[in-house]
Amino acid sequence: MKLIKCIIRPNKVDEVKDALAKLSIAGMTVTEVRGHGKQKGHTAIYRGKEYNVSLLPKMEIEIVVPDNLADDVVKAVVQAARTGEIGDGRVFVLPVLESYRIRTGEKEA
Amino acid sequence: MSSTHPDPQTPTLVTAFDAARSELESDVLRGAGGRAAMERYSDRVDAMLRQLFVEAGGAELQVVLIALGGYGRRHLCLRSDIDVLVLFGTPIGPTEETFLRAFLHPLWDLGVAVGHQVREVEELGTLEVDNPEFLLALLDARQVAGQRQWFDRFNELFHTAAAHAYILKSLLQLIDERHAAFNSTLYQLEPDVKDAPGALRDLTATRTIAMLTDPLLLRRGPADPARFEQAEDFLLRVRSTLHLDAGRNQNVLGHEMQERTADLLGYPGAEPSQRVERLMSDYFRHARTVSRSLEWARKTAPVPVGANLGVSRDGVRFLDPVQAARNPAGWIGAFRAALGAEAEVSEEALSCIQQHVDRYRADDFFPQAADRDALMALLRPRPGLYERLSEMHDCGLLGRVFPEFQAISWRVVRDFYHKYTVDEHTLQTIRNLERLTTTTDPARQRFRTVLAEVDRPELLVLALLLHDVGKWRDDDHATESVRMAEGALDRLQLDEEGRDTVLFLIRHHLQMSLVAFRRDTEDPEIVKDFAAFIGNEERLKMLGLLTIADVEAVAPGTLTQWKEELLWRLYVDTYNHLTQRYGDELIERNQAGLDGLLRGRPDDLSVGEITRFLEGLPQRYLQLFPREAIYRHVRLARDIHPDEMHVSLDRADGPVWTLAVATLDKPSLFSNICGVLSSFGMNIIRGHALTNPNGLVLDVFQFTDDERYLELNADARDQMVQVLEDVVSGRTEVAATLGPREQGVLHARGAPFFGPTIRSDNQASGRYTIVDIVATNGLGLLYRISRVMSRHGCDVDLVLIATEGERAIDVFHITKGGAKLTEAEQRELTADLHRTLEGSL
Repeated sequence: MKLIKCIIRPNKVDEVKDALAKLSIAGMTVTEVRGHGKQKGHTAIYRGKEYNVSLLPKMEIEIVVPDNLADDVVKAVVQAARTGEIGDGRVFVLPVLESYRIRTGEKEA
Repeated sequence: MSSTHPDPQTPTLVTAFDAARSELESDVLRGAGGRAAMERYSDRVDAMLRQLFVEAGGAELQVVLIALGGYGRRHLCLRSDIDVLVLFGTPIGPTEETFLRAFLHPLWDLGVAVGHQVREVEELGTLEVDNPEFLLALLDARQVAGQRQWFDRFNELFHTAAAHAYILKSLLQLIDERHAAFNSTLYQLEPDVKDAPGALRDLTATRTIAMLTDPLLLRRGPADPARFEQAEDFLLRVRSTLHLDAGRNQNVLGHEMQERTADLLGYPGAEPSQRVERLMSDYFRHARTVSRSLEWARKTAPVPVGANLGVSRDGVRFLDPVQAARNPAGWIGAFRAALGAEAEVSEEALSCIQQHVDRYRADDFFPQAADRDALMALLRPRPGLYERLSEMHDCGLLGRVFPEFQAISWRVVRDFYHKYTVDEHTLQTIRNLERLTTTTDPARQRFRTVLAEVDRPELLVLALLLHDVGKWRDDDHATESVRMAEGALDRLQLDEEGRDTVLFLIRHHLQMSLVAFRRDTEDPEIVKDFAAFIGNEERLKMLGLLTIADVEAVAPGTLTQWKEELLWRLYVDTYNHLTQRYGDELIERNQAGLDGLLRGRPDDLSVGEITRFLEGLPQRYLQLFPREAIYRHVRLARDIHPDEMHVSLDRADGPVWTLAVATLDKPSLFSNICGVLSSFGMNIIRGHALTNPNGLVLDVFQFTDDERYLELNADARDQMVQVLEDVVSGRTEVAATLGPREQGVLHARGAPFFGPTIRSDNQASGRYTIVDIVATNGLGLLYRISRVMSRHGCDVDLVLIATEGERAIDVFHITKGGAKLTEAEQRELTADLHRTLEGSL
């Protein structure tokens, strides 16, 4: 199993969700996050005064999928979340050691 | 007996009066000159005056004789003035004057001290605010003789909630002044039994406070009513001895009188000093009872806070609940008063409303324009608004005033996000806005500032109140909310601009969160479209605040910092677009959205003339000015030739004047107009300079004339227009027109409240260098800025001027020789502007 963690633009959540649905992936966790990567925030000007926006609002989507689906999922996310501009975000793929279903206590394969 | 007014009846009168006085004197000598004796004396005087009234011809006239003050209360003391009001039901003519002479002269001849007032009854409809003692005496009015109908009319006219509130306020002030004269202590060695703290006036005042606020007040007081009455009887008995002994209206219980009074009142004791001591300790005991009762009444009685409204410990209540029940137009006032007094509305008042509210329809709560204004004023966001609106809702008033709101009362809409019923969610949005007015959260300060700048925040609250009323149905609620809100706004008879704003906010209340959270706001096209949709900064501010308040009211924690940041970024980008980039978006031939403007044109304007005028002006022009103003501008620009200037100067309702100047391009035009307006002492609050590619310049200024120069001088307008023409054509220098104002206009007075912010930008617009200036507002500010720009050879092509309190926020779109300024030119200009605004130039 893999944990796929995607940091994407807030306005891309719906598109990414649609793309994942096409792969029959329904379970996911979506979190509002703030951060910066290479984009390092930007400077906004309001009424002649500058102010720094160092942490930009992003969305984080976490999905756990069988190993054989991981590549397709990554591709789908990248395609759906891309604008081509700086600030499109990142996708991380992490191994998952074990997984349990809380309701039944059963261990998932 | 008067020789000029012989009256055969006077001897009887003399006898009657002497008999009355002798009777009271003998009571006093027995030590029994208290309340009962005075009542008997008053009754005898009544009879005497009735007789005289008839003899003088009063029975044939439309007149009533009214006893006032102590005499009105039947506490007429031996040597007190007999205070009466002669009240005529008809205008006073010679017949009435004859009666007055025939009635009053015999009394004067008897040597009776008569304090008389004469009025026509309708005069009492106007409160004599300069005579609070008279107003207090009127509270004790009692009919002695004459026609009942005029006494009834007097009661009707005089006993209004507003009059009672005023009298109570005056009474409390009079008490303070009187007590100050006695160093505010009742323990006087030689007390004045009428005026001293704890003496007779305080006793009457205590009763008056209760009568005006809560007739049952004294039953709950520190002294039981019997002790209070004993104190009164004692004080009256003492006073009677003083009057008897002095033979005049003498009220000070001096050392020399204390012994005699103690004897007359029958105090035991072998030595005079023992008798005096007993008298005085009784005096202090009674005075303390009175004094404590008065203090208690003052603390407990409701303080008047409006017509028929008082605030006491349990909150704002109706002074007269019976009257309140009949007057639903006054109910909203109770909630406004509570907001003003930072109090609640009392349970008693809420029950009164709840009990009667179903009898009335929405219109009954604001029948007059003033009531509608009061409702709008209630809605201004400030601490306590949520609580008061919740009280209104709980007692059923809110749902009666706005039946639309009643439709969502306790309405449950099941979704994953909302935590509250629709009505509570709505009220919570208003609480969020209210909290923003005082928040100390550093992250929220930016929104707090925006709220403080909104011109009519009550419209925002009204929009919030109605934004979800359509949720009584399950489908598209925003459309249904708008439909329902239209009915509410019809009843409120809101002005067109206010109405459009509220409906816009309701219709689009989800739009800003949609764009902020679901669209790529880094895409300039998205921001541009959103800016075009919003139209102007004021609406942007309101929709931004509405969105914040709405999202936060969904459930605790819904408005995350993350969401705040997205909303703020969209706000800033849109604001910048509206103020800086609009110069690049020009009105084109076949521009969409002109149909209405062209169709509604007056007969004297052709389609061609309007489109020629509009072509090349910024699109924003269409959003800045209402249709009628645009037609006026078209006329102003008609047949204009080089060297000509067409001017219109007028004032709509209120204090704001509008000056519109059309001309073909003139150097330093903007600066010159600013200079002339400043030279006349005008305070510029908003301004727009607009140019089109054909060289037409339209400058529109809104200003206030704080010195009322234009209003007070008949030829002032012509004079101002003449000076404008002279300056614009170059015949006169602006400096020459400034005269004595030069110092004030050319140099900032005093230290600025805050340092100016000046920033120039070549990126924001494709055609202009944008200079943003935020500075302390003051006379001549714009002239000083624009003069510096002119001196640097810059053309002011477009300007947005706004003032928000002490701050002026100006955005100049400038060019030099038809192009943007170079980096070096920008640096020189901003440095020069800094020096000018900081007062070092």
